[in-house]
Amino acid sequence: MSENSNPIFGLWKDWRLHALVFITVIITEAIGTFSIPIGPGVILLLPMLYALIIGLVLYFTPLVKEKQSKNAEPIIVLGVALLLAKIGVIIGPSLPEVIEAGPALVLQELGNLGTILLALPVAIWLGLKREAVGMTHSIGREPNVGLIMDKFGINSPEGRGVMAMYIFGTVFGAVFLGLISGFLATITPLHPLSFAMASGVGSGSMMAAASGSLVAAFPELETQIVAFAGASNLLSLSTGLWVSIFIGLPLTEKIYTMMTRKKSK
Amino acid sequence: MLLKNIQEWTLLLVIFGFTALIGNWAGYEILPLKAIPGMIVLILICLAGFILRELIPINFPSIAYISIIGVLVSMPWMPGSEKIVEWTSEVQLLALATPILAYAGIAIGRSWTDFMKLGWRSIVVASLVMLGTFLGSALIAEIILRFQGII
Repeated sequence: MSENSNPIFGLWKDWRLHALVFITVIITEAIGTFSIPIGPGVILLLPMLYALIIGLVLYFTPLVKEKQSKNAEPIIVLGVALLLAKIGVIIGPSLPEVIEAGPALVLQELGNLGTILLALPVAIWLGLKREAVGMTHSIGREPNVGLIMDKFGINSPEGRGVMAMYIFGTVFGAVFLGLISGFLATITPLHPLSFAMASGVGSGSMMAAASGSLVAAFPELETQIVAFAGASNLLSLSTGLWVSIFIGLPLTEKIYTMMTRKKSK
Repeated sequence: MLLKNIQEWTLLLVIFGFTALIGNWAGYEILPLKAIPGMIVLILICLAGFILRELIPINFPSIAYISIIGVLVSMPWMPGSEKIVEWTSEVQLLALATPILAYAGIAIGRSWTDFMKLGWRSIVVASLVMLGTFLGSALIAEIILRFQGII
């Protein structure tokens, strides 16, 4: 979405939209979080998930007109801006530790790019179009969603892709990483501490599940696993946006263009 | 023009912030009065980021400015950062995410049929995204940790 065309003028006056969101938020927050344990991880049902579903259902009721749906779009960018300001002030106080965590952790963040090499070709092969760019440019957490919203908007194919990834990660991420981390650490020759660092690539609950099942498999390494996973998670939070801006997204675009050009010949 | 923009941004951020504060209360039992200073700080950080985006003539997303400013004002070397950290800690991250997704649900409705077309393929791809990131990260960590002699 281009920020220069001023899609935001007058949006604050759409009281119908704001009131619907306000009521949705109160209801969903009052319901609260449910976690369903499965194996080493949990399926997390968060208020934000109910909010998304209620919002969707509202769209198909007469309460929401086309106008509200259009107006909601630029407001998401503002909301994500607040979220990123909050993430910023979470990172700030621990900046010394992030710096101390050193080059190993920083470079390991580039592992994010593994997704582009593995998932992007499959996505194109399965017939996904521009959705593939949003979906596979990163692991799709808040900063990455923000970047795609800022560049393409939520109703673009890229926006749909990143939202699909974000929702999948939010609901099933912890279970998924919890299951594969213990499994991979026992069957591959890689060291458990390498997997401990990899545990931090996504959200906090993903890290807890992934490092939890590592600890279950290698109890003697517990303190190191937890420390590495925590430092890596903090770093993902701080550098995720930058890896996406400067490497992830441009690289995804490049490979996407290359692969689709070859295909159309 | 910039002034008009700032006015619109502020109004929307205040509306959004108000909803988030009530959610913060309903879901995390933090009284709105206690969380207001933190919300004001977050809104100011956003405004500063949007303004920088307009003033600096390079194509750099506003969210990047915002996250840098957030880090700068809360890092321990910044005078007064303890207050900023203390205030903003009253605003829960998830309380900000819930209204975003409520707006997102309403916005996504318009492209719902396109969403459904993603279907099972998106589950396959999403799983591969997570697997790829996890393995890629572990591989690089392995190489560097061996290089450093830690493992």
